[in-house]
Amino acid sequence: MEGEKIWVCEDSQEGIFTGIYDAWASGHKKEECVIQVGEINNYRLFAQYFSVKTDEEKARRVANTIIRRMGERAYRHISSAISSADQEKGNAVFHTLIIGFAMKEGAKAMTYLSNPYVGKVFALSRQVYNEVNHFMEFLRFRQLKIGILFAKIHPKNDILTHITPHFADRLPMEDFIIYDSMREKMALHPKGKRWSIVHDKNFMIEKTKEESKSEEEIQELFRSFCKTIAVKERENKELQRQMLPLRFRDNMPEFEEQKGTIH
Amino acid sequence: MEYRVEEKRSIIDKLRILGDGAKYDVACTSSGVSRQGDGIHMGNTVSAGLCHSFSSDGRCISLLKILFTNECIYNCKYCFNRSSNDIERTSFTPEEVCYLTMEFYKRNYIEGLFLSSGILYNPNYTMELIYETVYKLRKEYGFFGYIHLKAIPGADAGIIERAGLLADRMSINLELPTSEGLRNLAPNKSRQTILKPMRMIQQGIKENKNEIMLYRHAPKFVPAGQSTQIIIGATPETDFQLVSVAESLYKKFELKRVFYSAFVNVNQDKDLPSTLGGPPLLREHRLYQADWLMRFYHFQAEELLSPKKPYFNMLLDPKCDWAVRHLDLFPIEINKADYETLLRIPGVGVKSALRICQARKMAPLRFEDLKKIGVVLKRALYFITCSGKMMYPTKIEEDYIIRNLLHEKERLPEPKGAYRQLSLFDERKEETACQGGGG
Repeated sequence: MEGEKIWVCEDSQEGIFTGIYDAWASGHKKEECVIQVGEINNYRLFAQYFSVKTDEEKARRVANTIIRRMGERAYRHISSAISSADQEKGNAVFHTLIIGFAMKEGAKAMTYLSNPYVGKVFALSRQVYNEVNHFMEFLRFRQLKIGILFAKIHPKNDILTHITPHFADRLPMEDFIIYDSMREKMALHPKGKRWSIVHDKNFMIEKTKEESKSEEEIQELFRSFCKTIAVKERENKELQRQMLPLRFRDNMPEFEEQKGTIH
Repeated sequence: MEYRVEEKRSIIDKLRILGDGAKYDVACTSSGVSRQGDGIHMGNTVSAGLCHSFSSDGRCISLLKILFTNECIYNCKYCFNRSSNDIERTSFTPEEVCYLTMEFYKRNYIEGLFLSSGILYNPNYTMELIYETVYKLRKEYGFFGYIHLKAIPGADAGIIERAGLLADRMSINLELPTSEGLRNLAPNKSRQTILKPMRMIQQGIKENKNEIMLYRHAPKFVPAGQSTQIIIGATPETDFQLVSVAESLYKKFELKRVFYSAFVNVNQDKDLPSTLGGPPLLREHRLYQADWLMRFYHFQAEELLSPKKPYFNMLLDPKCDWAVRHLDLFPIEINKADYETLLRIPGVGVKSALRICQARKMAPLRFEDLKKIGVVLKRALYFITCSGKMMYPTKIEEDYIIRNLLHEKERLPEPKGAYRQLSLFDERKEETACQGGGG
């Protein structure tokens, strides 16, 4: 019996899609193919390893095929799952595609939740979706002295490309930056223009310390509002913590310590 | 009578006073309408609504919820802003409201504005002020986010209509579920003055829909619909009366939401009941659960309660309570039952029922699949079979099931526990997670 064929690819949508393209094109039995994301920390006996070189053209063709055969909705699920921090995601997506492409109506593949791969993609996509939703709610902008709105986030999953369209639609005429401090990259949105992702390992976070004149006053207004709006007779901090977990609170002015109000 | 005193208050003082005056209004949702940005103006809306923060009572902060003024000519006994209370009084200017809304929105603090008001001079004057403010916000400041307005009972139809064309949602609070309660506690209001504008808005929405069919670009009138609020526990109505009132509001007035607000005794008036145990939060919780059952689970008020059983079971949620009283209908076979039947199973939500219907077409579902789909098995297991088998050998017997369900602790608001309004559902977002008195 032949061993597993393992394609090792870069942790990005392009990387994973290229790996899937190569595995598919290799002609090996698809059940024996594995898509591995990122570093290999444990080589397996009898397995054959292929290192994948990310190729935008191949990735684009895989993306198009998914949309054509399985529809936009499934594509969104898959794209979200790929943003997850989970390392099994590439393989789950690959085997979900095998199922989807074999079906007459590929769009229905995502409902096949009793299949472990589809179930996995679905679960990951849901996790990512939830985090995206949380940051749409809990992300906070500060206005810098130079007029730019700046937000810092540290999400578990790589969600920058999922949340930025929401803010670009909402604040079309604002210059804003959303900075993912975990991955040292950011979304830049110049007013009236399209946004883009920039990797910057040397980003000077100190440069964002200088705020606009009114920034402090407005933060204070919001802090005061959040304090006022609570009904004393119904106090329930546990519920508050459940709804707004502590890990989000670092960059939220209403939870800033020294002026502390909402606590 | 002179209500306005010359004053120079800072905006932060005003926000404190007028936010305080608005906080007992529970409707804080920003849901019901999806509107994309236009590429120029600031703002869009998300149909599921977004909760930007949570205050220390665990309620969501979605909108900048303020009164325009807390001056009021009325003297409703339950209300903190009633005319006989000696409290700080102040009013915003339209510019101040616009400034706060824009600056907060830009920083992603809020989804939009919720503007309510005490009654200054008379209802028309007040409604006109509200209109003027929102007009400024939409037209001069170019704000495209969510706006929820209170329609002032007694204001002319013309002003309400103009305001409705600028707002996403409007509400008129019913406050007390029966006209008798209203007579006792809110002598200046009558059921008539409340239901009239409610009907006006309903008709406005209907006519507007026809107009939009004719002229695609006709401005939208209250696109997210209207809502109302009922205070729980200030007057002696039973739960059955309350859910029946809510049901008829949904059916006859086509409301989007009815909010329930556990009575907080701020005035200690002699006509108000004493609330030594604090606001009736558990009762409010049960009413919200029942409300969801009526809106999304095809339950009728009479199925949940009756004149003979007028109160909810405080130990069991209304769906479990219904299920154990109808054991003859169970167990339900997951791989066969239709969507509506699935909805009746405790532990199965709207989304998980839908997913079951889709997923079982591919392969028969097993218990472990249900878990992945989001079914709460510890509650569902007494009521279902998968391919003819139950998960564990269990007795289908009322006492046995109740005992076991109670063993699996439900999260409840009293005496001091964390609770989530949406314990019935598998996912946080249905419309918005935090109607739990947070709006």
